[in-house]
Amino acid sequence: MKHVWRAREVSTIVILAIEILFFAWYLRPGGGRPHPFLNAGNALLVLKYSSIYGIAAIGAAIVIISGGIDLSPGAVIALTGVVAGALFVDAHWSLAASAAAGLLVGAACGAFNAVLIVLVRLPPFIATLGVMGIARGAAFIITEGRYFDLSRDLPTDWRMLGIPLDWTSAIVMVALAALFHVLMTRFQWGRAVFALGGNPIAALYSGVRVGLVQASVYVIAATLAALSGIALAIVQGQGKADLAMGYELDIIASAVIGGASLAGGRGSVVGAVLGALIFGVLRNALPQIPGATFYDRLIVGVVVIVIVVMDQVLERRASVARRSE
Amino acid sequence: MPAAVEFTHLDKSFDAVAALRDVSFTIAPGEAHAIVGENGAGKSTLLKILAGELRPDAGELRVDGQPIALGHPREALGRGIGLVHQEMLLFPNLSVAGNIFAGRELTGRFGVLRESAMRDRAREIVARLSLAVSPDTEVESLPIAHRQLLQVARALAFECRVLALDEPTTSLTAAETDHLFRVLDDLKRAGVTLIYVSHRLPEVFRLCDRVTVLRDGRYVDTRPVASATHDDIVQAMVGRTLPSVKSEVSSVRARSSDLRLETSHLSGRGFSDVSLDVSRGEIVGVFGLVGSGRTELLESIVGLRARAEGSVAIDGRPGRFRSPRDAARAGVVLVPEDRQRQGLFFNLNLRHNAVLPSAVTRGVHVISAAERTTARSLLDRWRISAPSIDATPDHLSGGNQQKLVAAKWLATNPRVLLLDEPTKGVDVGAKYEIHGIVRDMAARGAGCLVVSSDLPELLALADRILVMREGRVRGEVPAAEADEERVMRLAATGAVA
Repeated sequence: MKHVWRAREVSTIVILAIEILFFAWYLRPGGGRPHPFLNAGNALLVLKYSSIYGIAAIGAAIVIISGGIDLSPGAVIALTGVVAGALFVDAHWSLAASAAAGLLVGAACGAFNAVLIVLVRLPPFIATLGVMGIARGAAFIITEGRYFDLSRDLPTDWRMLGIPLDWTSAIVMVALAALFHVLMTRFQWGRAVFALGGNPIAALYSGVRVGLVQASVYVIAATLAALSGIALAIVQGQGKADLAMGYELDIIASAVIGGASLAGGRGSVVGAVLGALIFGVLRNALPQIPGATFYDRLIVGVVVIVIVVMDQVLERRASVARRSE
Repeated sequence: MPAAVEFTHLDKSFDAVAALRDVSFTIAPGEAHAIVGENGAGKSTLLKILAGELRPDAGELRVDGQPIALGHPREALGRGIGLVHQEMLLFPNLSVAGNIFAGRELTGRFGVLRESAMRDRAREIVARLSLAVSPDTEVESLPIAHRQLLQVARALAFECRVLALDEPTTSLTAAETDHLFRVLDDLKRAGVTLIYVSHRLPEVFRLCDRVTVLRDGRYVDTRPVASATHDDIVQAMVGRTLPSVKSEVSSVRARSSDLRLETSHLSGRGFSDVSLDVSRGEIVGVFGLVGSGRTELLESIVGLRARAEGSVAIDGRPGRFRSPRDAARAGVVLVPEDRQRQGLFFNLNLRHNAVLPSAVTRGVHVISAAERTTARSLLDRWRISAPSIDATPDHLSGGNQQKLVAAKWLATNPRVLLLDEPTKGVDVGAKYEIHGIVRDMAARGAGCLVVSSDLPELLALADRILVMREGRVRGEVPAAEADEERVMRLAATGAVA
C-alpha cells in the first residue's frame, strides 16, 4: 500500500482538494443562502469546462512523457469545431457524422505532425508550431470570418448511450483518462512511450520501434485534441476559427502540474486530468470574487510555477531518501 | 563448427574520417575474445556494427555462419547478440525489471504486460549476478556499478549467445570489477561467447583466450593471450615503442617552502577534515576509490560545491571562490573528470574550445586572428591531431579530446592545476602525453593535484600520494616508498602497512 501514497497523483489530488476547500470557505454565503460554489450544478459546470482542456491534456501528457511537445492542440480544437460545424450546419450532416469527420481531420493533423517529426526529423517544437499555424489558418479559410451556429440545430434532448449532452464531455474525459492510464501502465505500448522519453537511444538499441511509437503518440494527441474541439463546439454552440486561442499552453500546463516532466520519461494521464480540474476550479471560482477576473491569467501563471517548484522540492527530498535507504 | 562471429572486409567512415578500414577476423564459439587498441582504433565502432546500431559502408557480418542484416538492432538481438555499452544505455525512469525487459517485454494478449512474470524473471537474473537490488527499484537511484551489471542483466534476459562488452570496468572499483569478472566467468562456462573491449590489459590477461589488436581502424593481428606479453600487445597497439611509463618515475623534487595550495580542515558533503598542501612545482596524487570524496574535494576548492568548514589558501592568500570563474581568476583551474559533459563544447569548433578560458579579447571583442594563432599553437604543441581547428570536438578521438581539455588551460598559466581522473578511458599513447602536460605545468611552477583511481599512473606521476577513503585523507606515501600494495591497502582498509 505504501507505494500508492507515494504516487505523484496523490499530491495533485491534495492540491485540488485544498483549492476546493479554500474556495468553499472564501465564497461561503451568509444568511442561509445556497452556496454559490459548492453545489452540484456548479460541480457539473466545472467538469464540463475542464473537460475541454482535460481531454486534450491526456494527449499532451502522453507526448510529454515520450520526450516530445505538441503546440498544435489549440489550433486543432478550433479547426475541428469549424469542420464539424460546417458539415453540421451547412451540409446538414448528422451530429455524429459531423463529429466523426472532425475527428478525422484532427487525426490527419496528428499524422502530419508525425510525418514531420519521424520522417523529416524536425524537432517536435518546430513541427507542431508549423502545424499549429496551418490548422489555425485552415480554420480561418473555411469560415471566411463567419462562424457556424450549431446551437439552433442541436437537439436538446439528444442523448449518447442515455447520457444527456451536458454530461457527455465530462464522462468522456474520465473514461479516456482511465483507458489511457491502463494503456500507459499495463501495456507494452505505454512502456515503450516511457522508454522513449527516458532514453531514446537506448530505446532504439533495445529494439523498441521508436518511429512507430513516436508517430502513434502525436496521432493520439491530435485526435484527443479534436475530441476536445467537438466538446467545445457543443458546449459553446458554435464552430469559429478564433476559438481556443492559447489553449495549447493551458493544455501543456495541465499536463505539467499533473506531474509530466518536460525532460520526458515521467508523467501521468490521470495527473493531467487532475491538472485540468485544478485550472477548471480556478476559472470557475475567480469570477465569483469581485475584481478577481482580471487576475485570472496571473494566478494561473503563478500556480504553474508554484506547483512545479513544490514538485521538484518533494522529488529531490524523495530521491535523497531513496539513496539513503 | 562455424565461427560465432565473422567480420569480413568491414569499412566504416564518419564524414571524412575512416573508423574501420577493411577489417576481417573471426571469433570462435565459446571463447573470450579481447579487442584492444588505442582510442580511435575502431573498437567501439566494430561493436556497434555487430549490435546493428551502425551500418558499415562495406563488408559482411556472419553470425554462426549465417549472414546477418546490417544496421538493425532488432535483428541483432533476435540472433542472440547482446552489447553492454560503454556509456550506460539505461532508462533512468524505469524500474530494474522495466530496464531488463525494455523493448522485449513479456506480454499476454494485445500486448498486456505480464508484470509479475517479468518481476520474477528479473529477480532470478539479478540473483544470478549476485546483485542485491529489488526488481522494482528505479534505476535512477542505483549506484554506477549496479547499473553496469544491470546492462549485463539485460543481455542475459534474452539468452544471448554472444555478449560484447565495451570498456565495462571504467567506472568500477576493484571489488566491483572482480564481481563482474566472476559473472563473466560463469557465462563463459555456460558457453556464451564473450567479446571484451578494454584499455586495461591486466583484465584482458585475466579473462580472455585470444586478443585482437586494432590500430587506426585497421586489423593488426590476433594472438592467443597465453603466448602474448603485455609489452607485445602495447607495441602492436601503438605501432611504436614507448618509453615505459613506469620507468620514468619522477625524481622527487625538493619540496620548496612556498605553498601554492593549502587546505586546512576542509569539510563538506562527501568529505571531511581534509588538510593538504601542494608546493610550487609539485605534483601531489590523490588516490581513492569511487565514492571516496575525491571529486567532491576538488569541486569544493573551485567553488562548485558549498564547503561547510575549513579554509583554502592560494599562495598564502585565502581563496574562497564562489564559482570556477572566480577560481580561474585567482589562477586555480579544474580539469574535470567527464570530458563529454563537463569539459568540451561539442557545438563549438576546436578553436573556440581551445581558447575559451584564455579568450584573446580587447574589451569584450574576441580577436579572431589572435584566437586562431593561439589555438593552432596549442594543438601543435600538445600533438592534438585534428582535421582542422574549425572542426568540432566530436571529430577527435577520446585521447585527443582529453588532451584538449587539459591543454586549454595552459594558455592561462594557472598557479594551481586540479585534475580529476585525467586519463580515464584514454589510450596508452595519449596517457603518456597527458602526463607530459602535467609535468610541464609543474616545471613551470604550478602546483598540481591529480586525483586518480589508476594507481600505476599516480606512482609514475606524483611526488607524493595522499590516500582518501570515505571522505578523509587516510595517509600519505612519498612516491619513492610507494608501491601498489601499500597504497591499495590504505585505500581499501585505512590500515597503515
